[in-house]
Amino acid sequence: MTRENFQKLSAALLLIVSFGLPLVLRSPTYLHILILLYLYAYLTTSWNLVGGFAGVLPLGHAAFFGIGAYTSTVLFLQYGISPWIGMVLGGIMASIVGVIIGLPTFKMRGAYFALATIAFGEGMRVMVENIDYLGPFNLNGPRGLQIPPLNVGLANLMFVNKEPYYYIILIMLIAVLMLTYTISCSKLGYYLNAGGEEPEAAKALGVNVARCKLIAMAMSSFLTALAGVFYAQLTLFIHPKSVISLDLSFEIAFIALIGGRGSIAGPVLGALLLRPVSDFSRIYFGHILPGLHLIIFGTVLILVMIFQPRGLQEPLTKAYHRLLDRLTEKPTEKE
Amino acid sequence: MKILEVKNLVKNFGGLRAVDDLSLTIEEGQILGLIGPNGAGKSTAFNCIAGVYPPSDGEVYFFGEKINNHNPWDLCKKGLARTFQIVKPFASKTVLYNVTVGGYVHTEKRAKAEEKALEVLKYIDLYDKKDMKAGKLTIADRKRLEIARALATGPKLLLLDEVMAGLRPTEVDKMVEIIKDLRDNGITFFVIEHIMRAIMALSDRIVVIHYGQKISEGRPEEIASDERVIKAYLGEEYGVS
Amino acid sequence: MWFIAEDLINGILMGAIYGLTALGLTVIFGVLKVINFAHGSLLMVGMFVAYWAVTLSGLHPYLALILVIPIMFFFGYYLQDIVIKPIFKAEKDVREPITVIIVTTGLWYILDNLTLLIFGPQYRNIQDNPLRGKMLEIGGMFISVPKLWGFSAAILTALAIYWFLQRTRMGRAIRATSLDRDAASLMGIKQYKVYNIAFGIGTAAAGIAGVTLVPFYNVFPSVGVLFDIKGFIIVVLGGLGSISGAILGGMIIGVIESVGPQFMTATWTEGIVYALFLLVLFVKPSGLFGVRYDW
Repeated sequence: MTRENFQKLSAALLLIVSFGLPLVLRSPTYLHILILLYLYAYLTTSWNLVGGFAGVLPLGHAAFFGIGAYTSTVLFLQYGISPWIGMVLGGIMASIVGVIIGLPTFKMRGAYFALATIAFGEGMRVMVENIDYLGPFNLNGPRGLQIPPLNVGLANLMFVNKEPYYYIILIMLIAVLMLTYTISCSKLGYYLNAGGEEPEAAKALGVNVARCKLIAMAMSSFLTALAGVFYAQLTLFIHPKSVISLDLSFEIAFIALIGGRGSIAGPVLGALLLRPVSDFSRIYFGHILPGLHLIIFGTVLILVMIFQPRGLQEPLTKAYHRLLDRLTEKPTEKE
Repeated sequence: MKILEVKNLVKNFGGLRAVDDLSLTIEEGQILGLIGPNGAGKSTAFNCIAGVYPPSDGEVYFFGEKINNHNPWDLCKKGLARTFQIVKPFASKTVLYNVTVGGYVHTEKRAKAEEKALEVLKYIDLYDKKDMKAGKLTIADRKRLEIARALATGPKLLLLDEVMAGLRPTEVDKMVEIIKDLRDNGITFFVIEHIMRAIMALSDRIVVIHYGQKISEGRPEEIASDERVIKAYLGEEYGVS
Repeated sequence: MWFIAEDLINGILMGAIYGLTALGLTVIFGVLKVINFAHGSLLMVGMFVAYWAVTLSGLHPYLALILVIPIMFFFGYYLQDIVIKPIFKAEKDVREPITVIIVTTGLWYILDNLTLLIFGPQYRNIQDNPLRGKMLEIGGMFISVPKLWGFSAAILTALAIYWFLQRTRMGRAIRATSLDRDAASLMGIKQYKVYNIAFGIGTAAAGIAGVTLVPFYNVFPSVGVLFDIKGFIIVVLGGLGSISGAILGGMIIGVIESVGPQFMTATWTEGIVYALFLLVLFVKPSGLFGVRYDW
């Protein structure tokens, strides 16, 4: 069969498998692991809009995750507003904050930008840890907020079983991948890539580099906040160290970098490869060798940066194309 | 009609006056050459005109509109494009991708931008290499890519900053042909060049600057026989090909 | 009012120690143009080395410097040579290699967790500590003796590094490379050797900082994290690449930290430090004493 058809078939199969998995895999533990896997794939793909396409190194994205989580949780607990609406509002908040952060920082050079994002992330965590009330909203400081599991159902994004969560995050992941693909083929995508690679040349070609980066940041922070809401509804408990943590920011960046930032498949591949490592080493080696997965992360990161700076997606995509060539016939040249 | 008017342009960098009271005009359809030794202030003048930084004093008019504090991207949309002395291709992307970026200036649709890009690539004879990664091109091809990208933006005035540097004589001749042909198709040129063979063949008029000041202006033959110019530069500084 | 004076002085002393911890970071940045995210981990390693040197040899902590300095120097030298140099070579044309930053972050994770694995998470401090809790009383104020020692060590180290950079041949080579690495290498200066040595010096400085901290600070695998970010803040505040800037920047932070709690909670003080950091980044990124680098 032709290459195109083969790819369409594989995509269809992948979709069927991923949607069908919960019917086969009944264990909530495994479902939870998959949910987190998709969540990280979603987070890294959203991060990629800024960290990959725009070419900078943001290391404070957990702040947007936290904004989403806190916005929807506070609104839900205090005013009974549905987390779905919380998603929209949290996303908008995160976008605004993202643009405010982006305005001064995008002018900075790489390392300074990275430091500034760290400072923003940590600064936000410190702020949330210290204040109990932000105006009329109760943030409860370091003690965090707990969501009592009453009124379960789709309207409140709360479920007893894992299956509904699985499908929601899967749909979110597919949506964000499609969005990334659309952007990469669009004017914004071209402009972002150009501005990230050679800003002076891009400007001379009509690209308002700063504005494009801000647009990317607004989108990326919006999407990340949505994930924060999802997470809050999944675990029903949030506190600053869990949702606005430096570790989360770094992990997202690491995974995207190892997988290959700037590409569409890279972040997802990174998550697919690294999250199981993380889970595996934590479950089986957690007590004898604590922190093993982080050592592995760090080592893989260094090795990838030395040998495959574009990420593991590069050799994997090449291998995939070679496989395709072997299995399918080439389409006839239309030129 | 005057496409570009530069009046008493001054650019200071701290205590250094890089451009000192420079004035010139370019008529539509002309090719104006700018020559002078290294450090004379040529690229600085270009950068002031192209919006990289604002002039310290003086005015720049494009189609009669004052453009002193405009951004490079706004100028590009208005029809003023430029190339860089040290080429800046988007190395990890294909040639087609590179030129498509330029093609997006007047459209939102990828199809249209690519169409324009392919048109330019065919014209400038880079079509066969459209799927090559820009980072793998030879220097001559990179220079052509630089021009191709700028062309895709549909410019009325094109500022070329030493496009001939590093090219072999046959390549230089080819480039001169291309530029002349583009001029016949309606693009006005402002060219900085060191390679005498090219600048003499191309330019309708030449402006000579030294230490940021204009010391001579005129037709190529006039410049070539101008005592001041000969005394200061020709035969010493340039590689006459 | 007396309390403020006491806090002020202790803040200055502690601040100098902070400056010492950031000294290595600023040297590494000034020369390699890289922000070493693993700096906190190097500090932690320095503390562990100091701890074990003292515990195993029974020496006075500051005498352990004899062991700590060479160990840390060579550790840093070879770390740069083996792990970081390959990236530099791959990114030769890039003025400011971001990939190196990423690699140092990986190093941070590896060092911290490897230490956790090997030594466990428990807090350690040296037994029979001759400096523990000693206070000097001057005019009604209590000044911490170990911090006084630390202050002196910080000033001496800063002066020593300054002298080295100004007066020795290698020092000049380092300064040349930091100003323009291409020009320097064209003059015959071996760029990567300079990098290795600069990294070694930076790491040795972290080792000295470790020695000063061990008498009054607990030693545990993630202790570096606390100093890591603070180190960046100090270095940006004082100016990346400036030695005096690091010490002075450290003192500013030290004073804010010790005087601040008189007026607000400790974590708000932390918030102020971050706010100050961001202010400097936006308003004067070259810091108080930094040189405007030709990025």
